[in-house]
Amino acid sequence: MKLEIISFGKISEFIHHQQVEISNVTNTDQLKSYLETSFPELADMKYKLAVNQNIIQSNQSLKNQDVVAIMPPFSGG
Amino acid sequence: MSEKKIKNIFVNGAISPSFIAESISRHATKTAIGGHSIFMGQIRRDEVNGKFVAAIDYTAYEELALTKMNEIREEIFMKYPLNCMHVYHSLGSINAGEICLFVFTSSAHRKPAIEACNELVERIKAELPIWGKEIFEDDTHQWKENI
Repeated sequence: MKLEIISFGKISEFIHHQQVEISNVTNTDQLKSYLETSFPELADMKYKLAVNQNIIQSNQSLKNQDVVAIMPPFSGG
Repeated sequence: MSEKKIKNIFVNGAISPSFIAESISRHATKTAIGGHSIFMGQIRRDEVNGKFVAAIDYTAYEELALTKMNEIREEIFMKYPLNCMHVYHSLGSINAGEICLFVFTSSAHRKPAIEACNELVERIKAELPIWGKEIFEDDTHQWKENI
């Protein structure tokens, strides 16, 4: 499936905005494994995913063309 | 008095003292108000390993932040009897000593304004997808973490 990956904060320094075509990934847990393998720096960090602007609290299925945001801990204010 | 339309909270650059003064003065005609509470976040010239923070560069997942802020706004209006609530957060590079967050609540009596203002600041820092990159005086940087 095709996904659009966007990233923020410290993560944006090593994962750039990109379209990815990945097979064998149907949910966010599988996507996390894929990302942590592709970008080992991510495995050591705290981060959250948002799918189509909804922050994910537990595993969720993905569909073609979803926009997935990778977000480190917030530091506004 | 919940507000349905999504308000933009982001301003490019620092929040100027004159903007804050004008914001206060616009409430002079709202005579049901008896108390205002204001929080202003200022960029601190932190020292880290002998280097000083010169500025913080803020970025945000703006669409998500505005949706989330709208939820927070509605919940705070449900919880406290407020007349007014205003939130502004800077984006871009803000120098040490400048204002990057302005939260302004008003109510008939002081307590709801004070408590709502405090809760808003805590929720903004914890829940809005905004990131601060601390730029040191030698142009190196580190990413800020809220504690």
